[in-house]
Amino acid sequence: MMGATIFILASFTAPENIQTNPQSMLWLLPLIAAIAVIYKTTKLQKITPLLFLKESTILFASISVFVVLTALALYTLAWFISL
Amino acid sequence: MTRPTKEKHILFLLAVAAFGWLIPGAGHLFIKEKTRSIIIFITVTLTFCTGIYIGSIGVIDSVGQTPWYVYVAQTMTSPLVITLGYYTAGGGFPVFGWPNEFGQIYTSTAGLLNLLCIINAVYLANLLSAEATGD
Repeated sequence: MMGATIFILASFTAPENIQTNPQSMLWLLPLIAAIAVIYKTTKLQKITPLLFLKESTILFASISVFVVLTALALYTLAWFISL
Repeated sequence: MTRPTKEKHILFLLAVAAFGWLIPGAGHLFIKEKTRSIIIFITVTLTFCTGIYIGSIGVIDSVGQTPWYVYVAQTMTSPLVITLGYYTAGGGFPVFGWPNEFGQIYTSTAGLLNLLCIINAVYLANLLSAEATGD
């Protein structure tokens, strides 16, 4: 099994082509989802499907909104500086 | 008389941590937290594989320009990463720019998330054994 896992992972030998554009920021979303899911897995006393989904979604949305707000604030600051 | 029990307790916690490092989620499985272990295994493995998919195995760079703390964070996912590190050490898988950065961010985040899970598994194991002994 270990050998098979190494073989599968080792077959990813060429990187994907990611352009420097606003759309590439969407790669952030799966990472936020992973962080939200793992955090809630460790924090919830008892894991039930509905509660887990609800809590993870709320955390995912909170982080996403905060990231967007931070980006807007930085963009506004940069706009004022460059006036 | 209490020494062997304490040693057993420490060995138990070390075993939980070791299992959690060997296979993401195995530490929780060891303390019979099956649901948590499945979620952790799927999420950490998927995050790590996404990083490898984006940047190729070249993002695991133990001897090149990558900062040491990125490599250490990546190895927190599993000892398998060290094996991949040996495989890529010759510099045969060059990766630059955003794919490299995205790949490193994904793989190191997977490792750090697994570290959080290992700490949580050890904490839960400690609570379990404290409950069992009535401390």
